[in-house]
Amino acid sequence: MQGFSERGGGPLDLAQLQSTMHAIELACASIQMHMNPAAAEATILSLSQSSQPYQACKFILENSQMANARFQAAAAIRNAAIREWGFLTSDDKRNLISFCLCFVMQHANSPEGYVQVKVSSVAAQLLKRGWLDFTAAEKEAFFNQVNQAVSGIHGVDVQFTGINFLESLVSEFSPSTSSAMGLPREFHEQCRKSLELNHLKIFYCWARDAALSVTNRITESDSAIPEVKVCTAALRLMLQILNWDFLSSSSGAATSTSIFQIGGRQGSDSPKKSECNLVQPGPAWRDVLVTSGHIGWLLNLYAALRHKFSCEGYWLDCPIAVSARKLIVQFCSLTGTIFPSDNPQMYEHHILQLLSGIIQWIDPPDAVSKAIECGKSESEMLDGCRALLSIATVTTPSMFDQLLKSTRPFGALTLLSTLMCEVVKILMTNNSEEEAWSWEARDILLDAWTAILVPLERNGGYALLPPEGKNAAASLFALIVEAELKAAAASAFKDDDDSDYLQASISAMDERLSSYALIGRAAIDVTIPLLSRLFSERFLRLNQGRGIVDMTETLEELYSLLLITGHVIADEGEGETPLVPNAIQTRFSDIVEADKHPVIVLFSSVIRFAEQSLDPEMRQSVFSPRLMEAVIWFLARWSCTYLMPPEENRELNSRKVLLGFFGQHNQGKLVLDIIVRISMTALVSYPGEKDLQALTCYRLLHTLVLQKHICLHIVALDSWRDLANAFANGETLFMLNTAHQRSLAQTLVRSASGIRNSESANQYVRDLLGHMARYLAEISSKNDIKIVAQRPNTILLVSCFLERLRGSASASEPRTQKAIYELGFSVLNSVLVLLEVYKHESAVVYLLLKFVVAWVDGQISYLETQETAVVVNFCMSLLQIYSSHNIGKISLSLSNSLLSEAKTEKYKDLRALLQLLSNLCSKDLVDFSSESSETQGTNISQVVYYGLHIVTPLISLDLLKYPKLCYDYFSLLSHLLEVYPETVAQLNSEAFSQVLATLDFGLHHQDTEIVDMCLRALRALASYHYVETSAGKVGLGSHATGLTYRSGNLQEGILSRFLRSLLQLLLFEDYSPDLVSSAADALLPLMLCEQGVYQRLVSELIGRQTNPTLRSRLVNALQSLTSTNHLSSTLDRKNYQIFRKNLKTFLIEVRGFLRTV
Amino acid sequence: MSDEEHHFEAKGDAGASKTYPQQAGTIRKNGYIVIKGRPCKVVEVSTSKTGKHGHAKCHFVGIDIFTAKKLEDIVPSSHNCDVPHVNRTDYQLIDISEDGFVSLLTESGGTKDDLRLPTDENMLSQIKEGFESGKDLVLSVMSAMGEEQICALKDIGPK
Repeated sequence: MQGFSERGGGPLDLAQLQSTMHAIELACASIQMHMNPAAAEATILSLSQSSQPYQACKFILENSQMANARFQAAAAIRNAAIREWGFLTSDDKRNLISFCLCFVMQHANSPEGYVQVKVSSVAAQLLKRGWLDFTAAEKEAFFNQVNQAVSGIHGVDVQFTGINFLESLVSEFSPSTSSAMGLPREFHEQCRKSLELNHLKIFYCWARDAALSVTNRITESDSAIPEVKVCTAALRLMLQILNWDFLSSSSGAATSTSIFQIGGRQGSDSPKKSECNLVQPGPAWRDVLVTSGHIGWLLNLYAALRHKFSCEGYWLDCPIAVSARKLIVQFCSLTGTIFPSDNPQMYEHHILQLLSGIIQWIDPPDAVSKAIECGKSESEMLDGCRALLSIATVTTPSMFDQLLKSTRPFGALTLLSTLMCEVVKILMTNNSEEEAWSWEARDILLDAWTAILVPLERNGGYALLPPEGKNAAASLFALIVEAELKAAAASAFKDDDDSDYLQASISAMDERLSSYALIGRAAIDVTIPLLSRLFSERFLRLNQGRGIVDMTETLEELYSLLLITGHVIADEGEGETPLVPNAIQTRFSDIVEADKHPVIVLFSSVIRFAEQSLDPEMRQSVFSPRLMEAVIWFLARWSCTYLMPPEENRELNSRKVLLGFFGQHNQGKLVLDIIVRISMTALVSYPGEKDLQALTCYRLLHTLVLQKHICLHIVALDSWRDLANAFANGETLFMLNTAHQRSLAQTLVRSASGIRNSESANQYVRDLLGHMARYLAEISSKNDIKIVAQRPNTILLVSCFLERLRGSASASEPRTQKAIYELGFSVLNSVLVLLEVYKHESAVVYLLLKFVVAWVDGQISYLETQETAVVVNFCMSLLQIYSSHNIGKISLSLSNSLLSEAKTEKYKDLRALLQLLSNLCSKDLVDFSSESSETQGTNISQVVYYGLHIVTPLISLDLLKYPKLCYDYFSLLSHLLEVYPETVAQLNSEAFSQVLATLDFGLHHQDTEIVDMCLRALRALASYHYVETSAGKVGLGSHATGLTYRSGNLQEGILSRFLRSLLQLLLFEDYSPDLVSSAADALLPLMLCEQGVYQRLVSELIGRQTNPTLRSRLVNALQSLTSTNHLSSTLDRKNYQIFRKNLKTFLIEVRGFLRTV
Repeated sequence: MSDEEHHFEAKGDAGASKTYPQQAGTIRKNGYIVIKGRPCKVVEVSTSKTGKHGHAKCHFVGIDIFTAKKLEDIVPSSHNCDVPHVNRTDYQLIDISEDGFVSLLTESGGTKDDLRLPTDENMLSQIKEGFESGKDLVLSVMSAMGEEQICALKDIGPK
């Protein structure tokens, strides 16, 4: 399809236009009928890619009877105009926009809404594209036309169309919804600012006036009338404008002195799920939004609509009602400098007014929820909850509570509490999954509580919560716990087989529990005794009923209770040491006796309960694996905060009692011993319970040894010694999952930091692992190793030992480094032997590689020159052996899934090898060895290049499709090129061309990050060469200048090759605009190195352009690329920046016509 | 604990048993397992519980290493499973005979002539093409529970 190109001469004749139209109509029809869609798409594409197809497009829009064809014509106008914008005359540009505008206005009553929307969005996009070029008067002319339409003088349909156009315009100017135009981000940013400053408020007023103009007619009529459509669109536009990301909201923080600015807190760490954006348009909007009675009008409009819900054409979820409610909720988030700081009444009045309208949606809660249960739509109630959430987010808790008191006998916190209690009751009674509204309402209301309570928790100001609020929180918490326990008991016999779903629901539950915990802490003096009581009730029930009746329900209740309590009493550490929650620290200050302190009472009873799991009979009858999981989880969370806390800041009496009780000089050691023994039980007495053992290894034991003062005590415990002994010499722990064994090894080695004497710490590590190293050395020296090694029991043992060694290697610390080095050193030979023996056993090979990776990673920075040489040689042999086994190997299997498994295994191996090389690389960055690294040491960069040379042939293009491997590979390569360009220069030509072929591949990769890394590498290479040659040295030498082969063929130098391919990429191919800066950084040194080649390429480019106007534009653009802004031929920072700017302008200028077909 | 004894110190009589018992919980993905009397490679392991407060059980999905059939099994994770003894030996390929057998060079210098070529077209052509193009090929032969099959080939290039 040779396009619809025309232009060149005068206007097209009618016949030609007709035929274009028919071609497009035919194509559209065949797409709809699924007949040869590829050809049809090509036809449509060729229309938008042809040069200046506007006349044809207009013709189709005006004459085609087929809506789809009109749609495609509009799209073609958009694509062609955006591309050719740079060289359209300003008349052309204006004509295109006003054609689109007039078109939508003229066809305002057309039934094909999607064509209308498309054309109006084309107009909006073109207007934006020319936004910075048009004069104010030109824009004014367009907007006059729109204003007339929106004001309604041309009738309802045109009014609706006008509002729709504004909607597309605003969304086009808002960065998150704008369409790409191939322009830098700054352009979009400038447009956004300009629209916000000069037009946004005017648009808002137009929308408001449009809505006002039809309000009366809507309120007076009893059935749906056309004006409703206009009003809905206007409300939607207003909502959209209020959703705008106002500049003052980000930069106005400096002026925030008003108390309501506390509303500007939106802790990024608050566990909120629902959207609640603050609306902060700044003082300029005050007259429109606040003081003009606008909100009163809106509330009245909705109130009037509420009365109509019985009429025909109106219902609770009809579009106009939904839009009005959304707008009202949005107004609840209004905050910031729009309210004067010296006039708090204004804000209060604003919120009160809104609340008086909203309260009818949710009050009285019981009646509302009953109505919904009887079939009323829940959307109004949910919107009411959202409004409460918004208000809670922007006000202080005490203000929030006060708000309602002027019209109701209770405060807003009480309302929130009763509302939520209603919802929880509904959840309790019908626990079916379809009851989605109560779930949603609960989540929104929980978020509202979080919004109120998080800042209190952070500032320690639960005292700021009014007593009424505290009571509300207490009764709500009690009800929540009751509901959770009931749900737990009810679900006790359900089988949750759907493990994926389970995982998702666990994390959702975690979030929910943290919100519950906040509510519980708000009334902590009621909550803690409540939890204690609930626990003791269930303990009693267990003791009485054990062995007599089925206890599953009670077990599940205890499980749930442990989770809730864990959340209330302590925060998630996430690697940090969490503090005791403020509420628990500050309450109970009058209690100084430990045995009467409610918190201590609660903890003691839970720990005593947990301790019973040590008794085999109790374990058998009560401690199911699942309950044990909760116990371990609770102990882990509890001990992070309360077990042997650092002894400082003990000024408060109650804190002293609480913290001291489980401290090192009191019950701490005892409890630690209990915890270690419980852990051991979980590992040994629950064979095959992977989840339980994972929790024990990763959560409990791992966090214990992270704290040094706990290590000091833990290594002195007999129970810990028993664990270490069982690990080193026993057999039961082989039954653990090997990954858990690895973690256990890491934990045990890490605890050595608690051994004061360095020599005994090293001895401890040797005792722990020496046996395993010796076994590996022994087995690998056996004569019949080939036979022995293949036995499943040997494979199991070797895998366990390798995983354990790997775990210990990753726990390397300066203190134990020596012992771990020796251990690793003693098995280096065995590793190579095993790699040979197990070459077909990919699972073992992977473990071998991972052990080496971890060991090198832990050791490399400590090694002395001699040791470094040994390790490096070992790594190279390892790479070579691995490569010799795998290069050219083809796996044969009947099963496709086994073949793809084999591929995945290879991928994992290669990632490990690349990691190994990166670890070696780090020797040059971090080095703790005693000698200075300069002298006669191993040249790390050469080694790593050599390693890369071995690994590269193993990496096939197929394997590079794995994103992680691809990323690792290119980051290693670009790191090498950036840091050691001089080593590249010394590579032999085979190795060198391999590196370059890879770079070339990476430049055309889809992933922006990969391309970026390659560009950085190119920049490093070229600038190295340029700087060196300027100083009279060889630089990259023959690699750069090109080679003449004996056959007489000239091989082009690599820099000129890359210059060519980079220019090709920049001018003709698709790439992300984010790459332009790094491309400029690579292009500049390339151009400087190869000026002759650049000139030749440029003249080729110019020669290919036949159109004289375009040619002269190209010449000028190329000229200014290298000469504007005082670009010089140095490679300093400033020059790079100038060139980046030049290249951006250049690309905007020429890419449009160079890429035209 | 009695059957764990030989885990530590393997006895001298090589290849005496075709399978070894191993606790189900310790069998990982990519390991081997016997399901319904067939040696399988494990491609998927998942654990679940028998009722909320019951004990864990492992769900294995394995692929028969010879026939490529998919097999599944559910075992309580504290129980033992059979793990097959899978052996792999490399031989240099000397000849492919007309009747579908290969002639292989063993490490000790003898020949092994009792192994059939695979019947699968795809695998067959991969071996034949390599051989016919004159490459030096090494075949890996996998054997377990009394069966053997060619499982990989590798071009070792001209010596």
